[in-house]
Amino acid sequence: MTDGIGARVARKEDKRFITGKGKYTDDIRMENQAYAAFVRSPHASAKVTGIDASAAEAMEGVIAVHTGPELKADGIGDIITGWAITSKDGNPMQCGVWNPMVTEFARYVGDAVAIVVAESQDLARRAAEKVSVSYDELPATVFADHALETDAHQVHENVPGNLIFNWEIGDEEKTDAAMSGAHHVTQIDITNNRLSPNAMEPRSAVAVYDEAEDHYTLYTTSQNPHVARLVLSAFYQVAPEHKLRVIAPDVGGGFGSKIYIYPEEIACLWASMKTGRSVKWTSDRSEAFMTDAHGRDHVTTAKMGFDADGKIVGFHVDTIANIGAYVSLFATATPTYLYGTLWSGTYDIPAIYGTVRAVHTNTVPVDAYRGAGRPEATYMIERMMETAAREMGMDPAELRRRNFVKEFPYQTQVLLQYDSGDYDALLDMAQDAANVSGFAARKAEAAGRGKLRGIGYSTFVEACGLAPSAAAGSLGAGVGLWESAEVRVNPVGTVEVLTGCHSHGQGHETTFAQLVADRFGLPIDSVSIVHGDTDKVQFGMGTYGSRSGPVGMSAVMKALDKVEIKAKQIAAHVLEASEVDIVIEGGEAKVAGTDKTMGWHEVGLAAYTAHNLPEGMEPGLKETSFFDPVNFSFPSGALICEVEVDPDTGVTEIVQFTAADDFGTIINPMIVEGQVHGGITQGIGQALHEGVVYDDSGQLLTGSYMDYQMPRAADVPSYTVSHGCTPSPNNPLGLKGCGEAGAIGAPPAVINAIIDAIGTDNLQMPATPQAVWTALQSAKMPMAAE
Amino acid sequence: MDMTGEYRIAAPRDVVWHALNDEDVLRACIPGCTELERTSDTELSAIVVQKIGPVRAKFAGDVELTNINPPASYTIQGEGSGGVAGFAKGGADVTLAADGNETILSYVVNATVGGKLAQIGSRLIDSTARKLAAKFFDNFQAHLNENQPDKAG
Amino acid sequence: MNNVKMTVNGKAVSRDVPDTTLLSEFLREDLRLTGTHVGCDTSQCGACVVHVDGRAVKSCTTLAASLDGADVTTIEGIANGGDLHPMQAAFNTHHGLQCGFCTPGMIMSGIDMVNRFQADGKDLTEEAIREELEGNICRCTGYHNIVKAIEDAAGTMADMAKAAE
Repeated sequence: MTDGIGARVARKEDKRFITGKGKYTDDIRMENQAYAAFVRSPHASAKVTGIDASAAEAMEGVIAVHTGPELKADGIGDIITGWAITSKDGNPMQCGVWNPMVTEFARYVGDAVAIVVAESQDLARRAAEKVSVSYDELPATVFADHALETDAHQVHENVPGNLIFNWEIGDEEKTDAAMSGAHHVTQIDITNNRLSPNAMEPRSAVAVYDEAEDHYTLYTTSQNPHVARLVLSAFYQVAPEHKLRVIAPDVGGGFGSKIYIYPEEIACLWASMKTGRSVKWTSDRSEAFMTDAHGRDHVTTAKMGFDADGKIVGFHVDTIANIGAYVSLFATATPTYLYGTLWSGTYDIPAIYGTVRAVHTNTVPVDAYRGAGRPEATYMIERMMETAAREMGMDPAELRRRNFVKEFPYQTQVLLQYDSGDYDALLDMAQDAANVSGFAARKAEAAGRGKLRGIGYSTFVEACGLAPSAAAGSLGAGVGLWESAEVRVNPVGTVEVLTGCHSHGQGHETTFAQLVADRFGLPIDSVSIVHGDTDKVQFGMGTYGSRSGPVGMSAVMKALDKVEIKAKQIAAHVLEASEVDIVIEGGEAKVAGTDKTMGWHEVGLAAYTAHNLPEGMEPGLKETSFFDPVNFSFPSGALICEVEVDPDTGVTEIVQFTAADDFGTIINPMIVEGQVHGGITQGIGQALHEGVVYDDSGQLLTGSYMDYQMPRAADVPSYTVSHGCTPSPNNPLGLKGCGEAGAIGAPPAVINAIIDAIGTDNLQMPATPQAVWTALQSAKMPMAAE
Repeated sequence: MDMTGEYRIAAPRDVVWHALNDEDVLRACIPGCTELERTSDTELSAIVVQKIGPVRAKFAGDVELTNINPPASYTIQGEGSGGVAGFAKGGADVTLAADGNETILSYVVNATVGGKLAQIGSRLIDSTARKLAAKFFDNFQAHLNENQPDKAG
Repeated sequence: MNNVKMTVNGKAVSRDVPDTTLLSEFLREDLRLTGTHVGCDTSQCGACVVHVDGRAVKSCTTLAASLDGADVTTIEGIANGGDLHPMQAAFNTHHGLQCGFCTPGMIMSGIDMVNRFQADGKDLTEEAIREELEGNICRCTGYHNIVKAIEDAAGTMADMAKAAE
């Protein structure tokens, strides 16, 4: 089966993208379309004392200017968060109220104050400039570690001291005891730099209100259109669900930033109803930097205790997580259940305890960005291993091996139970591929050229396919985390798969079709995947957290099971054979051991003509399944990075990057490798280049690609990627998820390599030339070349 | 942004002081200034068109003079809004010291920018501010030269 | 308003456009050729790259009014009927795209660099491709497969050029 599971099938969806025929939200133009622009606060913290829109309203072609108080007066609800966290003292978290548009206080630079609707985009933007807003500027709180100080401005009236929650996980007493008895304790103080996701397609929305039907349609750049519809309906009161259709057409990347339902979509839907026009808004990149949810932004102190053999005895973590001005949809789950639960890493750690304090600041909301909590956990643990190995005079790889989890399932001290893995094998694989034994010679050769060469390791485990729903619910989740699929066999035998997952680069139209091709032996071109439209697809949770494989494909498999059973019943009836003797392969239903066959299309036709079905069988061949996994899946990997640092300039060049990952079963290796390449590059971006910078008054200083450095082609090498496989026992295909692995594993590998090169770990991300050069000077170590 | 500077102006301190308090002189010398009106003894309102990197904006703002100690020093403080381009605000302590027939003007500026100016133009603020300051003093010297040809070098 | 006549993807077009209309807007809004994308506002990302008179330009920083008489080719205009351009085919074969948003600009830049290097008789190495992609940002692929696709297409384009001689 050339198109089945495990085949490197070229993507079916590519043709429209490579010919310029993709249909992204901004490509849509409705009849009677008007354009929206937003008036945004230039202040990080201010009271709005007046809005004078008269000059804008007087401009020819301006249709309307609306403000936050009007939206609120129309009953549009406040923006919600999807996961309730309980503080360690038992109190529920405290969140500031998030009005879609400012009603009184603007709390970050970019907070929307008014929406202007006009006949053209240019006119809407020019009119927005004419809206005069009076502000009383207030002090701003910007940085995570400052937010809890007594002199910090309180961002929300109802959140004392800016503390949203103080969450704990693990056993404090046991951990304290273990640490006090440790032979050696290593402490690190690190920050996890704030990032801007930067999907290349800026967010966009086209809202269409149909007055005759009192019905809304929203085309939007969403990773999860059903969740968008649910939230817009149930919480923001835009329209009841059956009167609201959400379509996420081709979406140009998400990385988490397009999970959330932002103020702009709400305001456009509402404005469409107010004006009777279709309303389109498309972000420009400057707006994206200001308003797309950022990622990471942690400040952490961690201590790890070891015995005399280098075995970990205890781990203690204290983190402050910057949540920004408002609590976005997954903002509270990210630094808790997606972070603290991963503190055991790939290691057998007998005692773990830590706290996470989440704080409000006058910055754009921070939420899940590729990896979401797991990169922060991995970076902390893997830097800890590097520093500890140096302090104890051990080889960093050996220290890891000595502590690896070796038996599965493995129950960590922080809730999760790892399903399967072989961490030693992955590290072996990576070390072989990276030719680690030749490193000393490469380092010496580089020294001859005046370069400092270093090697850095990272081993990681992550948790994908958040589940099961009941457990998530008991921990505070507001939604279920299952996925659904419908498999429709048409009368001519072609197959449509409707999935609640959404593809915005992941290649579902190919990989999901491979499942069907594999199951029935059909050509992949006879299978189409339908997603991204709430009017077509039953329901679904969308695509994030590397869930489309382990959860979404599992739902498809379960629906395929049902289709297969019914198809076999039909074939057995028509071919006058026993059901158990029917095999479906090569596009045919066959009676095993005979030459009796029936074409797949004949099975389909029989199901729909219903002329000759088993007694009592309903016509048709279409089955639905909802799959709720029993546990997360746990992909793991070992990454090895080699860098060369120029001691004169501090410039780091990544000269070799090797990844060995275990994603369980792989459906399409070509697509999985592509996910790994992209993830690693984002991880390198975090390690070397990227960082959102606010000044101490809350002004965003990295507002364009001139100042926010995206990794470009010449900044990264080609990668060596290989795979091990310990199938997950928790889903029918043994899948684990691959979308975030690179971004999770790469940053510590890069930083550890630089630390190895320059001989000091006094370094934070991004390791810009200036940061590396400064670290080198502070270390005052003799250059290797000398 | 913090900036300090010193300029030697070829004119006596009294002349410099009066010129620095003359809105017509300021309007003519401030780069990009299209309007400058005195609204009280110590307050002025101004419109200045500026381009910082890719951001071009018309700033409307008010300026207040405090700590007035003629003819030796004053503090000038102001805030200007450039619409979607953002805002700029800040102050300068200006001191005049007589040096024979010439004057040494020194200033200490503290200013901040916000909005688009900060997001896109922040890298360029320092260099732009230095350039504007230099241009202002060139204009100012030229103005004094024109009006006092006999005293200028 | 300026009357602008140009050839776009082999077809003559004539439109009245304001002075301030960018080529990217002209293509997307006036001609509804939405394959040319706009991913930033500072001319950094390269999603908007098209060919003007055979050279790659960023259409987001080119005024339509300045292109009277120009010959413009967009992503919609490079396939030969049903036959994909070798660069398009190579992006599919090598998985050089994921979300597809930067892809039109990548392909147009890729074709341009291959043409220039071949005209100069220079070897388009991996290093050269990476340097040449300085003006194109991709957030999905990590560039690995884009580089492979351009390398492969360069070979095919060279073979085609030879065959045509």
